[in-house]
Amino acid sequence: MALPQQSPESLSEAAIPILAMKGITRRFPGTLALDDVDFTVNRSEIHALVGQNGAGKSTLVKILAGDYDATAGSIVIDGRPVTIRNTRDARRLGIGVVYQELSLLPNLTVAENVFLGREPTRLTNVNQGELIRRAREALDQLGILHIDVRTRVARLTLAERQLVEIAKVLSLDPRILILDEPTAALSQDDVERLFSILRRLKGRNIGIAYISHRFKEILALCDRGTVLRGGRVVSVFETKNMTLDMLVEATLGQKQETFFRRNVRHEGIRREEALVVRNLSAGDKVRDVSFDIHRGEIVGLCGLLGSGQNEVGRALFGDLQGEVHGTIELNGRRVTPRAPHRAKQLGIGFLTENRREEGLFPEMRSEENISIASLGRFVWAKVLPFIRGWSVRRAIWSIAQKTRVAPSALPRPVRFLSGGNQQKVVISRWLLRDSEVLVFAEPTFGVDVGAKNEIYRQLEALAHEGKSILVISTDIPEILGLSDRIFVMYHGSFTAEFSREEASEEQIVRAMQGAHDHVGS
Amino acid sequence: MSVADRVLERLRPHDTERLGPLERAAYIFEKVGTIVIAGVLLLVFSLTTSVFFTEANIDNILIQIAVVGVVAIGESIVMLLRGIDLSVGSVTLFSAVVIGVLNVSHHTSVALAILVALLLSVGVGLVNGILVALVRVEPIIVTLGTSLAISGLNQRLLADNGSWISVNDQFFVGMVVNKIWVLPVMAVILFVLYAAAGVLLRKTPFGRYIYAVGGNPRAAHLAGIPAPLVLIAAYALCGLCAGIAGVLITAQVGTISQAVGGDLLFSAITVVVVGGLSLAGGAGSVEKTLVGAIIFGMIYNFLTLQSFSNYYKQAIAGFLILGAAVLIQLARVGRER
Repeated sequence: MALPQQSPESLSEAAIPILAMKGITRRFPGTLALDDVDFTVNRSEIHALVGQNGAGKSTLVKILAGDYDATAGSIVIDGRPVTIRNTRDARRLGIGVVYQELSLLPNLTVAENVFLGREPTRLTNVNQGELIRRAREALDQLGILHIDVRTRVARLTLAERQLVEIAKVLSLDPRILILDEPTAALSQDDVERLFSILRRLKGRNIGIAYISHRFKEILALCDRGTVLRGGRVVSVFETKNMTLDMLVEATLGQKQETFFRRNVRHEGIRREEALVVRNLSAGDKVRDVSFDIHRGEIVGLCGLLGSGQNEVGRALFGDLQGEVHGTIELNGRRVTPRAPHRAKQLGIGFLTENRREEGLFPEMRSEENISIASLGRFVWAKVLPFIRGWSVRRAIWSIAQKTRVAPSALPRPVRFLSGGNQQKVVISRWLLRDSEVLVFAEPTFGVDVGAKNEIYRQLEALAHEGKSILVISTDIPEILGLSDRIFVMYHGSFTAEFSREEASEEQIVRAMQGAHDHVGS
Repeated sequence: MSVADRVLERLRPHDTERLGPLERAAYIFEKVGTIVIAGVLLLVFSLTTSVFFTEANIDNILIQIAVVGVVAIGESIVMLLRGIDLSVGSVTLFSAVVIGVLNVSHHTSVALAILVALLLSVGVGLVNGILVALVRVEPIIVTLGTSLAISGLNQRLLADNGSWISVNDQFFVGMVVNKIWVLPVMAVILFVLYAAAGVLLRKTPFGRYIYAVGGNPRAAHLAGIPAPLVLIAAYALCGLCAGIAGVLITAQVGTISQAVGGDLLFSAITVVVVGGLSLAGGAGSVEKTLVGAIIFGMIYNFLTLQSFSNYYKQAIAGFLILGAAVLIQLARVGRER
């Protein structure tokens, strides 16, 4: 492999690294999440931690943060061996972590959030003046001048919250700052602002570990990086010797994983376009996106987390807040799905990527979860809206047979089912509805291998029946295995379109990083 | 299925689909707990008090719970949607006052008086529903407001009509005195309404939507259920139930005054909670509310037979709510353990 391989020691001969993790191994029942991992961050360095989902990045961070114990290995901070048993230890040792999901309390002000639990007091009361002064100071130091520390966090944008979160972590004076995908929700401008703050911080003699899937950002920001693959370190590099292609290669590795690949029958794809989308835009999340789906076709849409792919799906289903521009044509007729129940009537089905919060009715029976979107079809008459119990049940049975939901699971509250079966239930809901156009976001999220394959087969069968399917996923093998055509998004725009034959994992990953090679083919 | 798939299936049994003994016990209690409690109370009261299990006393209990039972139907539906309706007490009295004013002071027919009273009650419910669903004000605030407004209107109407109105029409007298087969007319109305509500919740799309919107509003929205319409209809139904309760209370007391139905709101909520409806919404059934009403009625009746004063009765109602809440919480903890 043409990657610069350097031992961490030779890079840091002058100074003792601020953080040195050696031989870290973490075993979970059945898997080895981290296998003899060395990870070193120097003073005044931004160090990237790179790898695919499941490579072990978050396990490593959790060990540092005191959430997990390491099965084996040692951690040395400032040349002194330490043990991190819990989050308090981590904080005491100067480790600050900014997580992807923010921990701010929306109803408190910025100042109150930054000093939560550590408010300056005057006798027993919070010293408001002092609190605001110190919060202002904390934000000023980061060059965040545009946020008023007296506003409630609920009123801030996501990017502003991210900055407040960083200010909060930094106000604890950490020597090691870990950022877990901080840019997933940020716009280009906000990313730039964050970067200049991080560069300034670097000068303060602290070490920064930066986790990201966005290789361009890593190359622009970081000094060095460590690539994890399958729980092992495959490369430690200096970014000045690194290119985007080399990073792609390092994270993917040579080994092609075996995954589901559907049998395409091209004759199955009809000529007619079922869905035509032109110039779809929504805020800064979706920018001028055009595509179409033929009958019987599965179109894959992928991108890094937060690239706008989910918003495209939601726009089609009428579930996007704010202005949506562009035209959507369904079977040649122009439609504007303003709300999900309108979209449903138009023949669009939508599977959310967020099964637990947005998909399931936990207390209802599985069969009721399946039938809830189609009940109108099963009443005696419009004026006599009583559900024909037996015909619903028969219809559910035949769907459940296809999606392989066990008949014994149907009368049980859906909360008792496993994740895979819950997913099959939500999918069954839209199969029963018999929508012409199906938008499936992360159809196999949190589902075991067996159920995964069943879901793939089901999607294949649906396409064969003549349905038009948009699969939105961050799982590249899944997109590759399922799709007839693939669109890749980056920062709200399409960066590439691939046909099934020309697509490769490497090209997709590169396009997800914003490289334009096949634009508008 | 390949051999590997089979092995995998074995290695990952769907263990969440199996219930442990404690979870099963909690689940069973949730299903039938209230009925068992009702049965035990019936047995104990019958054995300790000779007059308790007589036809006259049973009729008495049923007539007593008819009003609160009907109000509790509407309250159950609203609470299934994570809401609450604090206006049911004043709307019930409002309905009775309207009947009194029209039938006695303006000599309209009973049928017309009842029809107008029910329409106005539904109207109040619609206002509640629209403010909750479309303007998105908290239900507790909205219904507190309408409750106060209607209450003021009631006082005005009563003051204009001599502070109290006696309704003597044979229709109302008959509801208390007459029997259909073995049951008093009031009890028949109560049971018929519960049956209708049960069918509505179980057998119609609207009923399923109530459970869906109450169980997970986001998911309901994304399943294409028009949640605002469901909410508005539910509050309107709650208003209708209060209106019907107004007809029943007119029959029960005969003389309508400001004192009528004062504790109705709290009794109705007690009944719903004792019935075991989840305050988190989306779970429970109206049949259980009926059982709650029967438990409530039996305890009140027993205390009356034992000549406890009204003050004690109120205190005991309070303990009932607390006890039911604790039991429900225990069942929930057991289930989520």
